[in-house]
Amino acid sequence: MAPGAIPLRHFGKTDARVSVLGLGGHHLGAAADEQTAVEIVHRAMDGGVTFFDCCWEYNRGKSEDWLGKGLKGRRDEVFLMTKVCTHGRDGALALEMLEQSLRRLQTDHLDLWQIHGVSFPNDPELFIRPGGAAEALLKAKKDGKVNCLGFTGHKDPDLHLAMLATGFPFDAVQMPLNPFDANFMSFEQKVLPELNKRGIAPIGMKPIGGHGEPVQQGVFTAEELLRYAMSLPVAVTITGISEPTILEQNLKVAQGFTPLSESAMQVLRERAKPYAGDGHFELYKTSIKFDNPEARLAHDFPLDMQQVEVKQMMYATQNSGRPYPQVTDSPGV
Amino acid sequence: MPAQRGFDWLDPSIARAAARARSDFSRRQFLEGAVFTGASALAPAGAFAKPASGGGVASPAADPAAGQASAPNPVVKNFSGQYGTDAVPDFEAPKRPMGKTGVQVSILGVGGYHLGTASGQQEANNMVAKALDHGINFFDNAWEYHKGLSEERLGAALKGKRDRAIVMTKVCTHGRKKDLAMKMLEESLTRLQADHLDVWQIHEVVYYNDPERIYAPDGAIEALAAAKQQGKVRFVGFTGHKNPSIHLEMIERGFPFDTVQMPINPFDANFRSFQSLVVPVAVQKGMAVLSMKSMSGSGEPIVHGALTPTEALSYAMSVPGVSTTISGMDSMEVLDQNLKILHEFQPLDEKQMAELRGHAKQFSDGRYELFKSTVKYDGELGREQHQFPTAEKLPA
Repeated sequence: MAPGAIPLRHFGKTDARVSVLGLGGHHLGAAADEQTAVEIVHRAMDGGVTFFDCCWEYNRGKSEDWLGKGLKGRRDEVFLMTKVCTHGRDGALALEMLEQSLRRLQTDHLDLWQIHGVSFPNDPELFIRPGGAAEALLKAKKDGKVNCLGFTGHKDPDLHLAMLATGFPFDAVQMPLNPFDANFMSFEQKVLPELNKRGIAPIGMKPIGGHGEPVQQGVFTAEELLRYAMSLPVAVTITGISEPTILEQNLKVAQGFTPLSESAMQVLRERAKPYAGDGHFELYKTSIKFDNPEARLAHDFPLDMQQVEVKQMMYATQNSGRPYPQVTDSPGV
Repeated sequence: MPAQRGFDWLDPSIARAAARARSDFSRRQFLEGAVFTGASALAPAGAFAKPASGGGVASPAADPAAGQASAPNPVVKNFSGQYGTDAVPDFEAPKRPMGKTGVQVSILGVGGYHLGTASGQQEANNMVAKALDHGINFFDNAWEYHKGLSEERLGAALKGKRDRAIVMTKVCTHGRKKDLAMKMLEESLTRLQADHLDVWQIHEVVYYNDPERIYAPDGAIEALAAAKQQGKVRFVGFTGHKNPSIHLEMIERGFPFDTVQMPINPFDANFRSFQSLVVPVAVQKGMAVLSMKSMSGSGEPIVHGALTPTEALSYAMSVPGVSTTISGMDSMEVLDQNLKILHEFQPLDEKQMAELRGHAKQFSDGRYELFKSTVKYDGELGREQHQFPTAEKLPA
């Protein structure tokens, strides 16, 4: 490794190696404009980031569209992931979404394709049922359109374990990992060791708590939180970046990164503990505000517009709540 | 998608009414405003128009954000004649062993929070007397319910009858020390007009750092041991409504609790399940399981027609390992309804229970167990003592 480069790590049992820092797709779609987003992608690649996250439903397709434009001509330099948003619906829909994602990303294959937003207790059985999304994942891999398969969710470690218990051959699993998580409904305690044991590539997300509240409130610095997440036994830590200045800060932490010692990590966990008891810095695990209206619709769960929680959820999301396939305002598709 | 299950163990007319109500859930009514209006036929609005008042901190009934359903145990009027206005027959509630304590406890218990929202002392007196006369001997309470009013009402209502009752109350240190717990115990005993408690439990173990604080040197665990040793309480336990992991950590840390209280209902089986994860461990250790929130804490599934009171109570009272089911009752009318259900009660077999769980599965987003996922049911005193932001500062 050249001095100052971002270290690479093995991606689970695969031959691939990825940068310890990955660029999040949701925030990319929140960049000031397309040009800024493309600049962020270019600058991230130049700075040594090789892992790029995205998702079919982020910003109604804008994230994939902008990422595709940023990667144009340099697709082969990166490990590209996007996610499929069936939310329990069938495999045929998943394959339609895959084609749409590939078009937007201007590529003929993905390095990793993941089930997005495992949030509800019946997600594992909807996923694995005959005709479910599991079949689409296997078909896409067989057809050479994707190399690796995985799933992601921010809700409940027990749901992640239930997904693993389906027996599906996942290559990667994504989850929130930060010092608060270590103390509250903990993916670090419950899921991460299981992934390491099975040789599945763990992908950390939400290193600073999703929206950075712990940093804004002075509980931790962003650098402390990022270092903590990258020091865990994960393949990559995804951070959401919508401004070039934030990218430069994160690149500085990742370039030449060496993991914290276990005792230094324990100090951070202990500092988080008093705040983690009720999970108020990890509301994605508890509050319906961070749920996805479209996922609820796909599950036939109600959206009662009179409920304060649902109002908060609709306000917090850029999704409109309209179910697939009435998507007409997605740019570039 | 929602299953229309056969409820052949119920009166057919009831099963039909329940099926009608349930069919409302199978329609897609999203984004159209009040999604549940169709189900209200079973439950006249008037039945829920009685908002709970009082300064209690630990119940959704005191929380206006809890939505339109605020009765703990809604009265269902004219429900196929099942809960009619006939007098409650004379009968004796069945009893079960309360874990390894040697005490026999009635399978239904009276919740203490809602004694404090009943119309007054006279109604509380009448309810307690009538419950005792029907063999209901378990009375729940907590130091913080209505700032002591619930304990005072129960104490007055049990005057001269204390020996017939199993009196439980809870200590509300919320992570604070043993000496405060012992002070609270004395206050509880004074209000309850008793020289000892049958059961004393740590209240609202709902935060992930609670087990550590409770087990800390000079913490609440030491108070439980001391009170028991001093003969001021016969049995000790803890309660919480949040996550089975927290209950399991409390048990795994090793204190020999006599009782443990938790939410039990058909929805629980599909969402962060206490029944699947905690009951077997408690039973294996000989702890008495005290069930609560059979109707979800605020009666929403009853209001929405997703469950009848008979189904809700019958389910909780049939779960193997459950000693008693604590039910919040805020009027004689509700007590009467529960007594009628209890009079007709036949324990559900495994198939019947599996049917109810199967029916409940369509609600597996946790909407009928908001105490597990939201801050709505967490008391402000507890949040304050943990130095957490107040509930109103957090999203729902």
